[in-house]
Amino acid sequence: MKQFIKQMKHYARAVWAENIKEWKVELTYKPDFIRGLIDPLVYALPYLLYGIALVGGRNSKTLQGLVGSGDIITFVTLGYVFIGFLNMALWAMGFSLRKEQYWGTLESVFAAPVPRWVFAMGMAAHSTLHQGLMISVQLLVINLIFKLTINPAGILPSLLVVAVMLIALYGLGMMIASVTLVLKQGQLVSEALSGIMMIITPIAYPLAVLPLFLRKAAMFIPTTYGIMTVRHFLMGENMGFSVATSFFRLALLGIAWVTFGIIIFEIIDQRTRRTGTISHY
Amino acid sequence: MSVAIEVKDVVKKFRRGRRLKKRDIFAVDKATFDIEEGELFGLLGPNGAGKTTLVRCLATLLIQDEGTIKIMGKDIYSNSLYCRRQIGLVTSGERTLYWKLSGRDNLKFFAALYGLDGKERDMRIEYLMELLDLKDVQNERIEKYSSGMKQKISLARALLHDPKVLLLDEPTLGLDPQFSRFLRNFIKNSLNKEQKKTILLTTHYMDEADELCERIAFINRGKIVDVKTPYEYKRDLPHTEVLELRCSGIQNCDELLKQLQSLNSVEKTTANSVDHVTNIKIILPRAEPILSDTIELVRKQGKILGINVEQPTLEDVFIYVTGTRLSEDTAEERPATKD
Repeated sequence: MKQFIKQMKHYARAVWAENIKEWKVELTYKPDFIRGLIDPLVYALPYLLYGIALVGGRNSKTLQGLVGSGDIITFVTLGYVFIGFLNMALWAMGFSLRKEQYWGTLESVFAAPVPRWVFAMGMAAHSTLHQGLMISVQLLVINLIFKLTINPAGILPSLLVVAVMLIALYGLGMMIASVTLVLKQGQLVSEALSGIMMIITPIAYPLAVLPLFLRKAAMFIPTTYGIMTVRHFLMGENMGFSVATSFFRLALLGIAWVTFGIIIFEIIDQRTRRTGTISHY
Repeated sequence: MSVAIEVKDVVKKFRRGRRLKKRDIFAVDKATFDIEEGELFGLLGPNGAGKTTLVRCLATLLIQDEGTIKIMGKDIYSNSLYCRRQIGLVTSGERTLYWKLSGRDNLKFFAALYGLDGKERDMRIEYLMELLDLKDVQNERIEKYSSGMKQKISLARALLHDPKVLLLDEPTLGLDPQFSRFLRNFIKNSLNKEQKKTILLTTHYMDEADELCERIAFINRGKIVDVKTPYEYKRDLPHTEVLELRCSGIQNCDELLKQLQSLNSVEKTTANSVDHVTNIKIILPRAEPILSDTIELVRKQGKILGINVEQPTLEDVFIYVTGTRLSEDTAEERPATKD
């Protein structure tokens, strides 16, 4: 038991060190870091302004009819926050191993006496904190400009929803991270998945406007539950299912995606060690 | 003395080529050798001989297709984490460190991966910085370091967890003579003699292997050709002299080598060309009897720039045993043997 605790402490320190190392490297590219903070805001603003122009104000009766709340600014902003989480899995986590491979440091890291999934957890920790910072800046500025109308009592349950959803996204991130080691042009996979998820995840519009088959497909995507449940807590969106169902399905998806992510990660790790492609770029 | 590294019948092959023309390339072919605890063991061979592949197998970065590898008595495949804890790895590439981080930050990061923390980590980093004379530059970013300093940091990283076994893959490659000398002294005196580390050193510099290693394995085309001490290699060579000729204007080198090979008592001939200058080596019991014939043959094709008769070096032994030179320009090698 003592040995186990010692080992877990070692792994936890490795995860934290990976996170700190990433922050240090990122902060050496200051303009890029600042751009990263502004980008989410720049991408979200056109949607918000477009919505206001179409509706002729920030309240839409059609939206009210579909989800039970007509505030398009709060609706779209909350949805847009989840693009940040998707980016975390598909790009930040997904390309972290490829980045190390490109830098030439992947072999040195993989030669260390920690399981390779520990390194993946380090990437996940950093990506979460990084995206958390970007999302906070995004929410803060949009709130200053448009004054979001949210239920403060829903903030804590919303964070809980996000935490459960992140588990599933970590699985997705691990999957993409390992796939990029084999497919050197892994951005094609990330772009394709990103496009599909942007369409079938109710980010800027309610799920109800999608055709039936896409609505069914959306039920297998964790961000669907994340977005809808957070909007439910913060602005009273009608989900069509209970909060308990949402948590249950999110947990199931989390287990499934993480299991799948770990399996793919292990298979590809073995494959790259057999084919000798760990250091190729 | 117990065995620190045990390599038995290791095969590592890679699939190369396109679609239907895919074929297996044997990077390591039935390699077998043992390294005893505290031994400084060399793996000597030309570029592409399989040295790095073997080291990467030992470091668990590659999985061998056949055979077994044991580090400190444990199989590396089933005890991967244990074995990685016993190993410190230094490779020749400069880009194995985070260039945007300082030397100290690099070591702090890797210390966490190797399970060091707090005071223990700080003391270890302090000690290594002192030992490798890096204290003045420890807070500078790696991108500002010279190649030699980067290699020192790589060495410090490999020593962070005080491993029993060190895998040094061409550690002096691309370094200037001063840094190479420093590293060689450090490896021999500090790491091997004082700290009693087991060291596997791969190199294609024969003088490095000759100077540092207690035993050397010759590796060529993935095969371990022989394992002996440098003294045994030279002692067992049945030839006493090497005739070297530097020539220019040689048009048909293959033909010339064939003619030289046919001279009385010549055992091996090799040639390599750099910038229109051809260096020919002839290994034989005594050079003097064939000197005039050799000069005559070479003069028919070109001009002789210099002639030298020397005692055999480890490189000459390697040529004798494998028919291949150790030098980098292997593409221009033209080995010819009597058998």
